[in-house]
Amino acid sequence: MLEVNQLIKSYQSIGNQSTPVVRVESFSIHSGETLAMHGESGSGKTTFLNLLSGILSPDQGSISLNGTELCGLSENQRDIQRARTIGYVFQSFHLLQSCTALENVLLAMSFAGKVEREWAEEMLSRVGLKDRLHYKPGELSMGQQQRVALARSLANRPVLLLADEPTGNLDSRNAQEVLEIMRNLCLENQTSLLLVSHDEKIVSSFDRQVDWAELNQAKPLSGLEEV
Amino acid sequence: MIRPGLGTVLFLAVKGFRQHAFSSMVASFTIALAAGLFLSTYKIKEEANRAFANASGGFDAVLGARGSKLQLILNALFHLEASPGNLSWDHYETIKKTAGVREAFPIAVGDNYLGYRLVGTLPELFTDHQWRPGENYEVEKGGRIFTDSAKEALVGSMVAQKLNLKVGDRFHPYHGLTYKEESKHKDIYVVVGLLKPTGTPADRVIWIPIKGIQMMEGHDQSMAQSVSAVLLSLKGAAGFSLDLKYNKQGDRATLAWPVASTLGSFFNKLNWFEEILSLVASLVAFIGAMIIWSTLRTVLNERIREFAILRCLGASRRELTLVVLSQSLLMSLIGALGSLLCYFLIHKVSASLIREQTGVLMGGIVFDQTILATFAALTLIGLLSGFLPAFQAYRVSLSENLKPKT
Repeated sequence: MLEVNQLIKSYQSIGNQSTPVVRVESFSIHSGETLAMHGESGSGKTTFLNLLSGILSPDQGSISLNGTELCGLSENQRDIQRARTIGYVFQSFHLLQSCTALENVLLAMSFAGKVEREWAEEMLSRVGLKDRLHYKPGELSMGQQQRVALARSLANRPVLLLADEPTGNLDSRNAQEVLEIMRNLCLENQTSLLLVSHDEKIVSSFDRQVDWAELNQAKPLSGLEEV
Repeated sequence: MIRPGLGTVLFLAVKGFRQHAFSSMVASFTIALAAGLFLSTYKIKEEANRAFANASGGFDAVLGARGSKLQLILNALFHLEASPGNLSWDHYETIKKTAGVREAFPIAVGDNYLGYRLVGTLPELFTDHQWRPGENYEVEKGGRIFTDSAKEALVGSMVAQKLNLKVGDRFHPYHGLTYKEESKHKDIYVVVGLLKPTGTPADRVIWIPIKGIQMMEGHDQSMAQSVSAVLLSLKGAAGFSLDLKYNKQGDRATLAWPVASTLGSFFNKLNWFEEILSLVASLVAFIGAMIIWSTLRTVLNERIREFAILRCLGASRRELTLVVLSQSLLMSLIGALGSLLCYFLIHKVSASLIREQTGVLMGGIVFDQTILATFAALTLIGLLSGFLPAFQAYRVSLSENLKPKT
């Protein structure tokens, strides 16, 4: 389903030197597979996820998602591809504060080209927010906000869900609940899940665990900001 | 409203507008005020010019005492200002028989009733003359036109309405063109008819026989053989020969001809006022554009993270650019609609004032090229004001703006 080969991403550091941040020889995820990745802060994990989602384009290498080579696509095509096939959940939720929970989900669907209000409501019900459809993020708890983000990321039935520290801002009870919902929904939709976390307990609950330090052969300079 | 493509763009533009409702409305209001002022200045002058030219009561020229043509027209046709002086009755008799003069009606002024002017003339003005092609004056049911030698009055529709005068009512005229309680004449006039509305200055005067003014108790004996002016309808090129005779070769009377161009020259004198208002309107429009620009910049600074999130969800740079441009366009379109409202209000007030003060009925509001051009200009202002912020939105860096806030 996802095939990564010879992937390199570098940043220009002071003195115009090119500093590799990501160097992955080979990496793959099967359809419906769920895996957890762990690694040090600032070691390039988020950059790797941004490359997989098409937010960033690599310097070299290939990323093939369901047979489509992302590296050969224009930015506009990558945007469409991301909207239709990839879900992304962030540590800080990244909800649109001026929109309600339902509008957040509908907007994500509109960029994928298909707005189904019933399905958006269904997704929000599935994450336990049936009675919070018209609440804005500011009116929801942290756990509820992450559930909205989760519903939004899965509303387009993506083939791959990227979750970057999705439970980092939640207490352990909420973290456990969100994680459970996430895994169940991915299982139902046959969505592959790549979750990045520092929490060993969470990582160890996955059958497949990836150590980013082993996967990434690049050694970023100390102090280089993760993007 | 959230639909793929334009629906989502508009949804986000409206969200942005509502998020910054106050500053957005200030920008729209400024635009509305500027364009409203511009439209009002330009169009009301144009419409007033046209309305006055059409309200000359079907006359081509006015013969009066030596003096200003404009004053003559304003006094004789619009019943404004003081009479520049009198002409002898012989002048009337002479011009009436002059070749090329189709109609000649003498008028005499000098009295009022509660501030409304009494105008003395011949009853034939109401039976023979057409105040507009194909239209004679009409009297309301139950009334009639005054007779030449009786103390009778035919009341204009506005006066009848304002003073609640009815057929059979009696009144004492007052001396002078403005009402002074102590200047009451002893004569008593009877209202014998009410004129149907014409939308011309004839509506705001009280018509009586010319002999009534000439012979009014207390008037100077010399008035008995004089007139204030003679209203003329001309045939062919008679205006040229009369102009030569009275204005260029003579020195005892003035011929105000042609009426429309004399009035036009009066309106042209108001150009400086129009220019100043246009300048003010342009400045206000510029300020409006600046407010749109500044509002959008503020909005963008606050929404930049939101835009990065939208990009992450799959929104293209083009869509975000369109969101900002649509928001800018929304502000200017609300401003454009507001400017029409502003123009309607100013037009309504002006029309009412002009009608009240002159009796002239202004035409209704017509959607013409000026209004369309103003709309187009406002749209352009909106687009131009939004261009830079839209470009900033286009350049939103996804990875930079998605970093967690600390």
